[in-house]
Amino acid sequence: MKILNKLTLILASFLVLTGCEDYLDINDDPNNPTDAPLSGLLTRTSFETGDNVQNVSTVTSFYVQYLASPNPGSATDIMDNVAYDQTWFELYDVMTDISDMEVLATEEDASHYLGIAKILKAINLGLTVDMWGSIPYDEAFFAQTITPAYDDDQALYTTITGLLDEGIGLLSAPNTSESFEPGNDDFIYQGDTDLWIKAANALKARFLLHQSETSSYDPSAILSAVDNGFDDASENATVEYFDVQINPWSAVAINNASLLLGGWISEQLVESLDGTTYGYEDPRMPYMFGATDEGEYIGVENGAGRGDAAEQGERSYLVEGGYYTSRTSSLEVITYYELKFIEAEAALADGNSGRAYDAYLEGIESHMQTIGVPQGEIDDYLSNGQVSVGAGSLTRDLVLKEKYIALFLNPETYNDARRYDFQYEDMTVAANLNPDLGGNFATRIIYPESETQRNSSNVPNVTMLDNIWWDQ
Amino acid sequence: MKRFFTIWMISWLVCAGFSSYAQQTVTGRVTDAAGAALPGVSVVIDQTSQGTVTGANGEYTINTPAGAEVLVFSFIGYSTQRVSIGSQSTINVTMEEDIQQLQEVVVTAFGVEQQRRQLGYSVQTVEGEDLAKTEQPNVVNALQGKVAGVQITSSGGAPGMSSRIIIRGLTSLNPDGNNQPLWVVDGIQIDNSTFESSGTPRGLSNRVADLNPNDIESVNVLKGAAATALYGVRAANGAIIVTTKKGQSGKVKVDFKTSFGMEEVNNHPDYQQRYGQGFSGEYQPTSFWPSWGAPVEAVQVIDPEYRMYETTKEVMQTGKSTDNYLSVSGGGENSTIFASLAYFDQEGVIPFSDWQRVSAKISGTVDFNNKFSASGSMTYTNSGGMRVPHDRIMETLQYWSYSQDPNDFENPDGSQRTYGNSNPLYTAKYWTYEDNVDRIIGNINLKYNITDWFSLNYRIGLDTYSDQREEILPGPLGVANEVALSSTGFIEETRINSRNITSTFIATFFHDITDRLNATLRIGNDIFDISRNTIVATGNEFVVPQFYHLSNVTEQLTSQFILQERLIGLYGDLTLNYDDFLFLNITGRNDWSSTLPADNRSFFYPAINLGFVFSEVVDMPDFVNYAKFRASYAEVGKGTEPYRTQLVYTTTDPLNGQVGFTRSNVLGSDQLTPERTSSLEFGLEANMFDNRLGLDFTWYKSNSADQILSVPVSNATGFTRLILNAGELENKGIELVLRGTPVRTPDFSWDVSVNFTRNRNTVVDIREGIESILVGSQFGYAGATVSMQLIEGDPYGNLYGTSYQRYYENGTPENLTELDEDRSIVIGDDGYPVRNSNALVIGNAQPDWLMGIQNTLTYKDFTLSFLIDTRYGIDQYSQYDNFYAAFGQLDYSLDRNSVVIFDGVRSDGSPNDQQVWLGQGIGPDGRNYGASFYRDDFRGVSENFVKDASFVKLRNISLRYDLGQNLVEKTPFRGVSLSASANNIILWTPWQSFDPESFSAGAGGNATAFTGLGYPGVRSYFLTLNLSL
Repeated sequence: MKILNKLTLILASFLVLTGCEDYLDINDDPNNPTDAPLSGLLTRTSFETGDNVQNVSTVTSFYVQYLASPNPGSATDIMDNVAYDQTWFELYDVMTDISDMEVLATEEDASHYLGIAKILKAINLGLTVDMWGSIPYDEAFFAQTITPAYDDDQALYTTITGLLDEGIGLLSAPNTSESFEPGNDDFIYQGDTDLWIKAANALKARFLLHQSETSSYDPSAILSAVDNGFDDASENATVEYFDVQINPWSAVAINNASLLLGGWISEQLVESLDGTTYGYEDPRMPYMFGATDEGEYIGVENGAGRGDAAEQGERSYLVEGGYYTSRTSSLEVITYYELKFIEAEAALADGNSGRAYDAYLEGIESHMQTIGVPQGEIDDYLSNGQVSVGAGSLTRDLVLKEKYIALFLNPETYNDARRYDFQYEDMTVAANLNPDLGGNFATRIIYPESETQRNSSNVPNVTMLDNIWWDQ
Repeated sequence: MKRFFTIWMISWLVCAGFSSYAQQTVTGRVTDAAGAALPGVSVVIDQTSQGTVTGANGEYTINTPAGAEVLVFSFIGYSTQRVSIGSQSTINVTMEEDIQQLQEVVVTAFGVEQQRRQLGYSVQTVEGEDLAKTEQPNVVNALQGKVAGVQITSSGGAPGMSSRIIIRGLTSLNPDGNNQPLWVVDGIQIDNSTFESSGTPRGLSNRVADLNPNDIESVNVLKGAAATALYGVRAANGAIIVTTKKGQSGKVKVDFKTSFGMEEVNNHPDYQQRYGQGFSGEYQPTSFWPSWGAPVEAVQVIDPEYRMYETTKEVMQTGKSTDNYLSVSGGGENSTIFASLAYFDQEGVIPFSDWQRVSAKISGTVDFNNKFSASGSMTYTNSGGMRVPHDRIMETLQYWSYSQDPNDFENPDGSQRTYGNSNPLYTAKYWTYEDNVDRIIGNINLKYNITDWFSLNYRIGLDTYSDQREEILPGPLGVANEVALSSTGFIEETRINSRNITSTFIATFFHDITDRLNATLRIGNDIFDISRNTIVATGNEFVVPQFYHLSNVTEQLTSQFILQERLIGLYGDLTLNYDDFLFLNITGRNDWSSTLPADNRSFFYPAINLGFVFSEVVDMPDFVNYAKFRASYAEVGKGTEPYRTQLVYTTTDPLNGQVGFTRSNVLGSDQLTPERTSSLEFGLEANMFDNRLGLDFTWYKSNSADQILSVPVSNATGFTRLILNAGELENKGIELVLRGTPVRTPDFSWDVSVNFTRNRNTVVDIREGIESILVGSQFGYAGATVSMQLIEGDPYGNLYGTSYQRYYENGTPENLTELDEDRSIVIGDDGYPVRNSNALVIGNAQPDWLMGIQNTLTYKDFTLSFLIDTRYGIDQYSQYDNFYAAFGQLDYSLDRNSVVIFDGVRSDGSPNDQQVWLGQGIGPDGRNYGASFYRDDFRGVSENFVKDASFVKLRNISLRYDLGQNLVEKTPFRGVSLSASANNIILWTPWQSFDPESFSAGAGGNATAFTGLGYPGVRSYFLTLNLSL
């Protein structure tokens, strides 16, 4: 009897304890999945790449004087020592998701997803390196260490080109997977591999051109990349936006309309277009930004603020609508017209002014057509002798002047500006410039606080006057 | 001497009288065992509050109504005596000294009532009456200054706004970790979360604000790990044990209280009233710049109507509150019942902010027979109010020009009146956020005394609430020429459903081992189950203007967060009592927590404590009545938050039919092990001079190791945070409680109690590779951002920021981490102080010490009590000041057009002699000074805004008048009292802005060093009437 009682007790305890285990097994996160599908990762990374371009541009657009702050002495406008933590975070966040997509695509043997992943990574890595120089890469993305080492920026350029070549290779071959084919989850090209290959070549041309001040400058390599790039502006690499997730520049315009001021146009840009700087008018202003209530185009001097101008109606700023600032406007990553100006600059350096001149004119015309300038006005502009100077008179200055207009709001212009030592006509540093710069343009941004605080043993000590490797 | 110093007990209670019946007069004399007269002894007719006290010769006279049966004689230090009246007209009583009487009963873990005498750890009790007296609707605030070792900080002055409570310092290095104690009401755990709004701060309530302080009988604060060992993981930060009022056998009692209060902002910065709208000293009537313009007298030449407004003062109103409370209680021989109804309503100092609380409570006890008894209670609360976006309002108030009327905020068509900038009051009125909480807290308690040495106790409790919130930001109203608050507008509906269940089973065994040694053994099981489901639905951009509904939007988004956590505990607790002077208590508990990886979820921890009443065995001087030594060592384990053991992905809102996936920014770990806090505590208690002086001293040290942290890491890792066991935090401190009765005569008495707290903490260890843990940071213009970081070897709460460069004869030391304010400031070639952009320690946000001094003076029917609360040696970052500097709004900026020579030295150490101008633009010397010293230089240096936030406050003062017995007899009431009280009416502080107590993180946040643009603190005044039947 006693033994039976004991056995019952043991059995009961056992039941109670195993029951407890089940009772406590509730710690699998019910809110979030532990796996991500390839399609979900591509959705996220292709879309967010557009946001990253815009994020970087919210800095560079002031640095290259597309935009100017309506308030005097605004930090970005005067190139102050700002740690752009959020931009850095967004770039790494997207590169992390791309890294997961690479791992998963490799596991699933989904070669086209892998190919797109490589190209997307090159875009985001390029944006990061061009702003900060040396950054963590080899030890990044998978928490291998909590203090990742920094990779040299020049070496990372090899990585970027390598990624583009790998992407081109993977996308040029047939898809190795039947079940995984990119489509509507790709917010740039909807899975069109031919266009991805062209974009990758255009990007190669861009990154090779960055090296124009270095000994590795090779115009002919650029031109051969150009040959494999876009054939017209319909092939531009752009990210789609939707009514539920509107174009970020249109959001700036909408906010400005409700007095969250932003998106005011720099005097530098207005004067480059309205004839002040060059003596002839460019018809593109109405297609790029707004006029005053009087119908005039008036910019704001960088760093100086709007003075006594009212919040509305007395200066030019981004307004909702049009090519750049409609709610569903696509956002440019790299375009046909950029490629044409790359071609023009490289061909000039290569001594082929004929090719350069054709590319230069084609760049202007396709940009004008894309943003909606009527053909008549385009023809008028192109027939202006100061624009159609003839192949023999084409200069790099002219190419970069037109490229500056055609790449409105694109962060690539800050790369051009640094290669060009900010020699745009009449461009001077902002009023109230960050005194640490000693009257010079900033040639990079400082590392984010998240790095200086959490990875201080690795983060290089830099000032905003230290150059990225290719800026010599 | 003894007779001269005699206590005069609970005088205001002794004022009863209903006497339409035939009366009888009883007289008598009360003496001690030696025959000496005892003055001040309370003589009360049983079952009533009618009574008297003995006079100087120990004599008394009392009228007893017909039916009165028993007189109760009571006096501190003596046994209470009950004497049948019968037909006697003279009753003489000899009081027996009572050692047991010192054995005040306190409520410890799991509602076990124990004699304080037996405890080997520190417990402090606050009576409900003392809480109600403060008229604070939030019981957390009502506890301010009343308990040693406890730091309470009100997060701001908004109606219903949260208040933070910390016992014996912070225990968690985790920036988001919970450092607040466990709250237990009538034996069941209740939720004290603070869910701040996801958008702009709204000053929401900590959920304990749902408790009505009027319903509270007493609060016991269990401070150290030894006291809370039985609660295990849940009470690693201490525990607040609330006992609510119960019915008592006897006559039905009805109590009614009504109170009316008013409040206003208790401290403002000194605003300048000279320079108005514009920049560079120029008058610009539509300028964004509120006060860099021309002096008022210069503008009045052009525009005689032009005037200045003290905008913040003009916008703030006098807040009002009313508190009504009705309770009914009574009972028979075997059962009791208590019921209450309450309504509290408050309007804040910022217009349109308010908060209400309605509560209803019923509780009862039944003794079925000698063996089996049951009790239960249920409280329903509805609370919530309009939470204004105070952060936005206070910011727009800074932008709003001092030369524009801030009170004229709305156009006749309902649109915003503005000259350009957002209108603060319009924002307050229309950007609404309303919460509505329905909450039920209930428990059932069963007790079965099987034999005289064995009993069983089971309790099950429920705390469930739904918190419904609605935020509306209107879009354009659709009227001509309006400046809308938002170009799109949105509506956000939040639904939080929470349910906590507590189940507790205790078996208790008593055994007398010998005549002198007895043992109590408790074995128990404890199950705790939390479930919470939060759903947020957002609608963006209204289609039809002014129709605010989720269906009337162009975009709808929803999100959901489910949280489940369970805990099982098994414990044993053995108490040995040797001859009632030596007590040894040993406990052990094993917890199983659902939050830890399965392999590590079970953990055991022991505790031991000793109480030794040495005055019983050691010869003590005559004036010592009682002395006890305590010692304890305890360990407490701790789990973590749910869902920290995995790597997960989060999804993004669908876009064009596609759902994006992104890897979570936080990396969980399946290797987590429980955190452990071990603490050592020694204490001394003594009562002296006829118990007129009481002392309770505690020294403690507690180490919280293996902390589970969410550590911020380089984003390049692919994460922003990693969850891992890393680090140890040590708290050491002393607590001193002194209670005294300096004066005690039949008509007048003065009681004083002092609570002193000093806690020091050190970050002992952080896992290698992590140099610092960022607890939080707050924005400052132009690089003045201040952060609170934890660094190994440093105390918790160090504040880092920019400073003025200091002069070092041999060059600035390389590893300089701390600002040396005493050194000379280095002045640059431009004549301005040089800014050091390297973050240095510029302050610490933990107080050096805290002290509360409570005084109660009683003269006849008047009672005056006041509490002086001191917080010393604490620094805070004033974001307000940083903003004010940016806009030239405080009176120190009146010297904006002066030429000065900054006090300091040149980089070579020679004294600075360069004259500079402080103004904007071109100075008198022809030099361009940019946007002025204050805007360009001063505001970019954190040091200027991290200031001493110490204070001495007259936390509460109240004067109460109890209607004398003779007067009460003429009313239908048993008792009538009227009181006037005030909170925070006096504030001494070096701080120059709003009340330094406010902070922006909310009660649950650990980054308490930042004022943000918080809801200003208030002072308040109350009139209260209490009636009892």
